[in-house]
Amino acid sequence: MSGQVYRESETVDFVIVGAGASGGVIARELAQAGLSVVLLEQGPRFGAAQFTHDELKDWYLGGITNDAVRNPQTFRNDPGKKAELQKFKPALWYGRAVGGGSLHYTANFWRFREIDFIERSVLGAIPGTGFADWPITYADLEPYYTKVEWEIGVSGLAGASPFDPPRSKPYPMPPLPVKSSGVLLERGARKLGLHPIPAPLAINSQSYRGRPACIHCGFCHGFACEVGAKASTLTTVIPEAEATGRCEVRPESYVFRIETDAQGRATGVTYFDRNRQEHFQKARGVVVCGNGAETPRLLLMSATARSPHGLANSSGLVGKYLMFNYSSRALGVFEHELNEYKSVQVTRIVHDFYDADPRRGHYGGGGLDARIGPQPITWAIRTATEGPSWGSGYKARLQEFARSMQIAGHGTSLAVESNSVTLDPDVKDAWGLPAIRVTYKDHPDDLANARFLQDRGAEILEAAGALRVTKAPVTEQTFSMHLLGTCRMGNHPATSVVDRYHRSHDVPNLFVCDGSSLVTSGRGQPTMTIQALAFRAGEHIARFAKRGEI
Amino acid sequence: MKAVVDRDLTRRSLLQALVATIAALPMGWTEIAVGAAAASVLSAAEAADVEAVAAQIIPSDDTPGAREAGVVSFIDRALATFLSQLAGDYRAQLAAFQAAFRERQPGVASFASLASAQQIAYLRTVDDTPFFEATRLLTVLGMFSQPTYGGNRNGAGWKLLGFEDRHFFQPPFGHYDRGYPGFVIEPAKIQ
Repeated sequence: MSGQVYRESETVDFVIVGAGASGGVIARELAQAGLSVVLLEQGPRFGAAQFTHDELKDWYLGGITNDAVRNPQTFRNDPGKKAELQKFKPALWYGRAVGGGSLHYTANFWRFREIDFIERSVLGAIPGTGFADWPITYADLEPYYTKVEWEIGVSGLAGASPFDPPRSKPYPMPPLPVKSSGVLLERGARKLGLHPIPAPLAINSQSYRGRPACIHCGFCHGFACEVGAKASTLTTVIPEAEATGRCEVRPESYVFRIETDAQGRATGVTYFDRNRQEHFQKARGVVVCGNGAETPRLLLMSATARSPHGLANSSGLVGKYLMFNYSSRALGVFEHELNEYKSVQVTRIVHDFYDADPRRGHYGGGGLDARIGPQPITWAIRTATEGPSWGSGYKARLQEFARSMQIAGHGTSLAVESNSVTLDPDVKDAWGLPAIRVTYKDHPDDLANARFLQDRGAEILEAAGALRVTKAPVTEQTFSMHLLGTCRMGNHPATSVVDRYHRSHDVPNLFVCDGSSLVTSGRGQPTMTIQALAFRAGEHIARFAKRGEI
Repeated sequence: MKAVVDRDLTRRSLLQALVATIAALPMGWTEIAVGAAAASVLSAAEAADVEAVAAQIIPSDDTPGAREAGVVSFIDRALATFLSQLAGDYRAQLAAFQAAFRERQPGVASFASLASAQQIAYLRTVDDTPFFEATRLLTVLGMFSQPTYGGNRNGAGWKLLGFEDRHFFQPPFGHYDRGYPGFVIEPAKIQ
């Protein structure tokens, strides 16, 4: 850590809210451009010594994420109903620590493709939805996807996929060694005439930029990487930001209001420190990088007499168009051991079904990946839902652990205006602030698409020689870790929250860049696109600042 | 922060209360699990019945089950430490289970003293109760969590799954990736 400390009364150039996948990137870009930055994070700053392979602690005792008691949420699937308190698991789950989602993600890192940005133009409108083109194209973002691959560190094989969009550079590292699930996916997929490819991952296959190669411990998804082989902003861009001497990271700083002046410009943010004392940090500009849940919540909590429906919300769209993606699962049991609990979660993917195809009868497409069949406790809990839940029949199923794998289908979610993040009128969190109220109901096409992808995954498992294939039921989602769309980008203030450079249409020195910026959901794996958007936003915000345009 | 503990057991399942309590715990509590080896709330009679139920959830046959893995030690220690807010509710539900058993099986000393086949038959009649659901979850946690929590004795639970408890691995990882010749890029046929 640099030891740089700014006084709150000192007007720094930028305060960034949220030290996650996006905030860490923007902090570095601004600090390296010569600007002074305070990076505020709700959660703590952990060190490698605190990252364990304790599945009970990290998955079930709320180690590095929000929890249902201190950060309560309410949920409903219909805006006409009263939302109910989520008593055991929050509906929207996110990393609540320095590093954010980049601590506990699976690190699947595939780029969006050209179609993702122009799908509305290609397919036409979908009535009853906010299906729309992005204000940028793949070509605008390509240099930043490349920057993510080289500066965050992504392992993969350029040219492996016949579907890949154009790229300006290869990957900096070769793919990680294949797992048995990957070999079986290849076998089954090729039999069916599909094109399996090595999975790009934000995990080192060799030493890279001072961080070691993966040790194949198997504890990626839901765990932070204690050796630093899985990239997180905690171990990559945030230390680089601090090394400039211009960036101060303040953990356990819970921002609850963006302050504005009589002209409607942002003046800084008010936050609680770890002792619940209020502080106000002055800044010339504010960049909000919470996540698709906390970011719209903060804007709504920052309502004033001048903007009674929330800050930066003249469009009325702050919090709206919440999208999750849908991950469906097919499970296969094989004759011999796969030992999927070892090594990274995914080594092979299939993108043959990525594009939407009107002949399917529903909008949507997705990617399939061959993956772990989870770790012991989650395996035991999940197995009880897919057959006998106790007794010798259950024990026999448990013992299929080492011979099991999944194919997961990661699909699209349509932008539906009633799917939203709003402030609950009654429930408060442990700080007395309004809880997040989630309204979410999958569009019927999202469910049809999830089943379509699941069926394709099941076919591949059968073609690969599975002894038994089970499909987990596709039901309406009440929970997600992909929090997208709630402050969408666009060219027109009436139909978007931020412009093509993530600047608020309403507040000229306020920027928003995280999962909330996405206009369409993509086909899963949003973190890579979020970080590409962050590199691009950081570059442009720095440019605007130095030209005096903020 | 206080966990939400529901004293009205007719309105919300003990299982939900258990999971809510688990979800409410803050990060820095590992010292509780490691330092509390002697902590206990269950009486001998309670522990015997809980152990017997757990032993039917994951039975012993030609491989160890919940009994050999010491699942009841996990449950007892958990209720004495990080699940202490739930201990009162769980023991009340356990007492209700025992009372119902005595009523339906007069002359039998306890559930634990019943023969195995009869235990299974009895549990089939109560396996949708909050007490059984909570015991099922606790058994799974006790079987497969790290042995420092008091269960999964000598890694018996992990051995059952074929899960090798090691910090790092090298390829080949399993049967099917052994001898993998490497990824071959196919000539592009479509775009």
